[in-house]
Amino acid sequence: MSDLTEDQIRSALESILERRTADTRLTTMGAGSDDLEAGRRYLADTVAEGWHVPTWPAEYGGRKASSSQNALIGSILREFIVPDLYPFAIGLGMVGPALLAHGNSSQQEKWLKAIASGTSIWCQMFSEPEAGSDLANVALQAKLDGDEWVVEGQKTWTSRAMWADWAICLARTDPAQPKHKGLTMFAMPMAIPGVEIRPLMQMNRDAHFSEVFVEGARLSDEWRIGDVGEGWRVAMTVLAHERAGGGSRGGGDGSTRGAHIPTWISDLQALPTPHNAIWDDAVMGLYSHDAVSRWTMQRASDEARSSGSPGPAGSGAKLRTVKSYKGRAYLANQSSGAYGMLQDGHGYIELMTAPSMSIRGGTDEIQRNILGERVLGLPGEPRLDRDVPWKESRRGLI
Amino acid sequence: MSETFGVDPLITETADRLFSQICDHESIQNAEANGEAAEIWNAFAETGFPWISIGEEFGGSGGTLLEALEVLRLVGYHAAPIPAAETGVLGGWLLASSGQQLPEGVVTVLPNGSEDLLVTRNGDHLTLTGRGLRVPWARAAEIIVVPIQVEEQTFAATVDPGDCQITPMTNMAGEPRDTVDFNQVKAFAAPLPSDVNLQTFRFRGALSRTALMAGAIEKMSQLTVSYTNDRVQFGRPVAKFQAVQQHLVWGAQDAALARMAAETAGREANRGDGAFEIASAKLIANQAAARATKACHQAHGAMGMTQEYPLHHLSRRLWSWRKEYGGDAEWGEWLGRIAISQGADGLYPLITGGSAALT
Ligand SMILES: Cc1cc2nc3c(=O)[nH]c(=O)nc-3n(C[C@H](O)[C@H](O)[C@H](O)COP(=O)(O)OP(=O)(O)OC[C@H]3O[C@@H](n4cnc5c(N)ncnc54)[C@H](O)[C@@H]3O)c2cc1C
Repeated sequence: MSDLTEDQIRSALESILERRTADTRLTTMGAGSDDLEAGRRYLADTVAEGWHVPTWPAEYGGRKASSSQNALIGSILREFIVPDLYPFAIGLGMVGPALLAHGNSSQQEKWLKAIASGTSIWCQMFSEPEAGSDLANVALQAKLDGDEWVVEGQKTWTSRAMWADWAICLARTDPAQPKHKGLTMFAMPMAIPGVEIRPLMQMNRDAHFSEVFVEGARLSDEWRIGDVGEGWRVAMTVLAHERAGGGSRGGGDGSTRGAHIPTWISDLQALPTPHNAIWDDAVMGLYSHDAVSRWTMQRASDEARSSGSPGPAGSGAKLRTVKSYKGRAYLANQSSGAYGMLQDGHGYIELMTAPSMSIRGGTDEIQRNILGERVLGLPGEPRLDRDVPWKESRRGLI
Repeated sequence: MSETFGVDPLITETADRLFSQICDHESIQNAEANGEAAEIWNAFAETGFPWISIGEEFGGSGGTLLEALEVLRLVGYHAAPIPAAETGVLGGWLLASSGQQLPEGVVTVLPNGSEDLLVTRNGDHLTLTGRGLRVPWARAAEIIVVPIQVEEQTFAATVDPGDCQITPMTNMAGEPRDTVDFNQVKAFAAPLPSDVNLQTFRFRGALSRTALMAGAIEKMSQLTVSYTNDRVQFGRPVAKFQAVQQHLVWGAQDAALARMAAETAGREANRGDGAFEIASAKLIANQAAARATKACHQAHGAMGMTQEYPLHHLSRRLWSWRKEYGGDAEWGEWLGRIAISQGADGLYPLITGGSAALT
């Protein structure tokens, strides 16, 4: 498709979406919002011309946009009301790009359009009780039985599991290999026999993440993403996109281009707390952090587009996005004085959600390890288990 | 559990043992779901602990303010969902100071006193109209105490909660912080001595929160040290990672700092007014709570975010208490004014001498 001008994009979007105003409020990703329909409608409305995932091929719900065209569409989309796409974020931001990189054409055909149009929801079954930061330690096993894989094990912290049609699931297929080598990635339907979901309640009272118990579920080999033993490579692609902010286009920070003061600031201004120089300093500090963060993200995603994967820059992006979210949550709570102690106080959900931002998608510490090793070239952490069969290393070597 | 200055270790031990028995994870979760914890309160009340520091002649248990604060520290440590401070060192103190008898059950106080109320005098009693906000456990109280200032005189007015309209509200930790509407409510008012007034009440509120917070931060720090020593990733306990150790050190420092500040404030308050120490302690506890909750949550990973793991009992209480009886801005400003008023030469004596340097 040839590149469109800013005006052409804007008028195309104007015909299907409503403009954002200074009063438009956005919900928190993964907390406080249970509305699947708004997102479904938005994706259904935008998929025909590929507005939400512009870089994807047109037949899969994109418009094969160049990197600069994609960036332009992204920034114009911010002028419109884009609902909280939290339920769809894994598919749009992480599974989609991973399928484009590692999936075969029949898999792309089967899944991508459904993701882009909002008809199927995906969740991410990576973490396990013994595999958090140490993701390569996953124990959930998939064993070949005829031409099917039989899966046994447990995942945890699986966000969106109760809505999901499919999961992208990291499994151990060869325990005799060192831990990073014996892994394989699968797509798993959530509704097949042997898959049981137990929701866990978070301290913000949200029950959108779950334990998933898998007992003898059978997966077709056609649902394997990438080669047997290549699961870690696929996982790295998924995680790189997650860190780079995959899927959160539109929702999120409430910043707008141009005329509007970001809603988080106008909300703060409406609070009865006295504003003074200290307060102004905190607000403007966050505002400038956000702006710099957005530009840096833009640069990183341009670089990623030319190299094909977000790479370690995504870790920096994640650290900055988290800092913005937490900074706003703490400032809102501080600004609301004693009233902010109540559950119906301003920013309660955000405050209760804030700590998780530095944990989900890889902790701050892990992001810094990645930056230290891969960007600055600092010495790596000792990895004694690199060449040891997983079945020996899993219980610890020290 | 280490000893606390000026407190009979038997009190520490007994209260700690009691709370260990009655405040398990499930009962704290239930208290939040039900909006009350009658069983925990009854077991606590049976020991007489709520009324320590209140003279026996008023229906109290006797003992010192330091001992009462020690019990509050343990209430915070165990995240006990009960109106211990309101019944004792706040409401009970106002009642006894004005020569009134304590009721048998829960007492609560209007945190802002009569600030939000219209008060009219009607012969020997007062009539109150207006709205009290964020009143702890009003729904469970037998008496609501309202410190009221009329000209130079402060009174402890008592109100029957049955005469008010109570709307249940909750703080971030799920503890009752109700809205209480007074519509021409009759209150019995007894005069307070001159050293008990709206300002000293505010300091006393801050002192109570400081004790609760010191306990909660300490427990949070201990929980984090033990979790990170058990949790294995990359073949070793995560506590072996220096980045995690840094979180542990923040948690432990803040626990020590908050407890030291709380104990110093308690000691000075026990001796005289201790205003400077209390203001400092509340500010220190507020800031320590902000840092320590961040560090402890981060070191726990996803586990700390779930309702099934107890970290949130402590962190959510700390975020709420941090805002009660003065947030960072209020005490920061108060301390700033005092420091400036002492002039350059007075600053060092203020730091070393505290309240004593002010008189
Ligand atoms: C709200 C939420 C939603 C989530 N959703 C999903 C989901 O949908 N799918 C999914 O698969 N997972 C999900 N997760 C899990 C998430 O990916 C993990 O929580 C995360 O990877 C951290 O693992 P952990 O919680 O086991 O922490 P741990 O790995 O146990 O870490 C504990 C502490 O140790 C530190 N640490 C660990 N290793 C090192 C090291 N080498 N160097 C320095 N510090 C270290 C960590 O930074 C942390 O501070 C979710 C988590 C949350 C909180």
